[in-house]
Amino acid sequence: MSLVEAQGLTKIFRRPEKDPGLRGSLKHLVQRRFKEFRAVDGIDLSIEAGESVAYVGPNGAGKSTTIKLLTGILVPTSGTVRVAGAEPHTDRMVNARNIGVLFGQRTQLWWDLPVRESLALLRDMYDLSPAFYKQRLERLDDVLGLADLLPVVARKLSLGQRMRADLAAALLHQPKIVYLDEPTIGLDISVKDRVRQFLRELRQDGTTLMLTTHDLGDIEDVCERIVIIDEGRKIFDGPLAQMKDRFARVRRMRLQLAEPTPVEKLAERLPDVEVVAGDAPTEVTVTFDRFTHTAGQIIAGVLDVVEVGELHLDEPAIEDVVRKVYAGELLRIPEPGPARDAAERSGERA
Amino acid sequence: MRPYWGLLRMSTRRILTYRLNSLILWIGGATFLAGSLAVWHALLSQGEIGGYDWDQMKAYLLIGWATGAIGSAYGDWWMAGRILEGHVATDLTKPLDYQWARFSEHMGGLATEFIAITIAATAIVTFTGGLVVPGPAQALLFAASFLLVAPLKFAIAYITTMACFWTQNFMGVSWAKDAIVTLFSGALIPLALLPAWLAGPAAVLPFASITATPAALYLGQATGWEALRLLAVQAAWVLVLWWGARLVFRRALRALTVHGG
Repeated sequence: MSLVEAQGLTKIFRRPEKDPGLRGSLKHLVQRRFKEFRAVDGIDLSIEAGESVAYVGPNGAGKSTTIKLLTGILVPTSGTVRVAGAEPHTDRMVNARNIGVLFGQRTQLWWDLPVRESLALLRDMYDLSPAFYKQRLERLDDVLGLADLLPVVARKLSLGQRMRADLAAALLHQPKIVYLDEPTIGLDISVKDRVRQFLRELRQDGTTLMLTTHDLGDIEDVCERIVIIDEGRKIFDGPLAQMKDRFARVRRMRLQLAEPTPVEKLAERLPDVEVVAGDAPTEVTVTFDRFTHTAGQIIAGVLDVVEVGELHLDEPAIEDVVRKVYAGELLRIPEPGPARDAAERSGERA
Repeated sequence: MRPYWGLLRMSTRRILTYRLNSLILWIGGATFLAGSLAVWHALLSQGEIGGYDWDQMKAYLLIGWATGAIGSAYGDWWMAGRILEGHVATDLTKPLDYQWARFSEHMGGLATEFIAITIAATAIVTFTGGLVVPGPAQALLFAASFLLVAPLKFAIAYITTMACFWTQNFMGVSWAKDAIVTLFSGALIPLALLPAWLAGPAAVLPFASITATPAALYLGQATGWEALRLLAVQAAWVLVLWWGARLVFRRALRALTVHGG
């Protein structure tokens, strides 16, 4: 059985429906109307031990709600969920021992006391032996630079320091599965790198990770599997590489031409693709669908018109895919086309 | 038990962190107590009212103030704030019983509350010429009753803060609770002085167990079986409200909505 197993997981919230203005508010007092809002709508999910899963979707897609259902904070409206054999909302205390949770936007540290005190309290909560506690603190100090933070009162930490301390708090008891809700939100680049490095090490230790994020760097650096949800429903679930193959259809080739060439001439030779002039008269960018054209075909077409100095083929970024999801453009899942073959894949970087 | 003791200690330390805030709280409280003493001193100069002479009233006011002070350092606002600001989500991911955890934090305030009560009692003895002292049996009954005030007040505050799951705001609920508790516990004026239409509800509500019961035991207004009956009623309320709170919490979790991450 999988470590996390959810079937038809659904959470419906009731939202008051008010007309605008004071009048609307007064009317709501006498005549209460509510609208049902399906935050999570029939999600099936299974995560094996040791996997690292990115859970992605636009704001309000239901990411955090799913995490809260999996951690036992919220009670599902319907559907089933089991984490390490326990039902999180009924066996909340049992489940809590198996999991570590980090909500990037909240802290679990005691705001008014030194970080050390919060960690000592967690030691007591999880019944950690003094030896194990010491060993964990040393390990977390290695990767998170914790020692400097221990004597500092939590409210005096910078955001980056706070996140490091919070990560330590979430991982102190060496949980089987760690849920990270926006673990790098608001962090500067160097701290982000450090957090990601830490998450990679965690993954190597065999910890199961599930993270929600808007930061695509987090996904590429840490996760091998991505689940995309929108409006409470799952629209993709599979390996990161597969997602790129299936969704990242658009390739962009930037060319440095030997001499200035009007884009119309190139467009004439290359129908069905988009040719746009660059900043300099010798620069053009060709955007094409890699399911209908290969990079080789594009180069050949350009060479018919003009000599090429240099070219650069942009790696298909998950960013493009996710951006489409966010923009609501990715509603159905396209199947891979015949043009995708090994030859084209090897020609991705020129 | 270890994590709950840990929470209790953390709560005490948190309160001690804000020493100035605590000091202001107790200065305000002391002013109110001094004011009450002055008003009743003036009223009772003509003779006793409702069976209370000045010496008894002094003890009554001190007990009313002390039972009011229990639980005030931790504060139901703190508990409500964790629900309203969504920290309840983090609390729920911990392997702790939510109610016992909040109770432990609540008890963490007792240390500073007892210090304040001791200072207030000493001040009254010093400046108003002594205090009525009960006999050993009544003192024992009073001590037991006074100890029950802490869990009783916690249960009432806890249930009240649960309202935040539905109201999404604590202001109205808190004011209503404070008004009702102050009136029906006897903290405002002894219940014996209330008109019948208020004394009726006061007799059946749990709030009398907060102030009226410990005061009656201290002053020897209830002795023997009557004293034990009052104590039993008080203990029963603690149990009923403690388990009632569990039911409310279970329902509250179903109403829980945590917004914004």
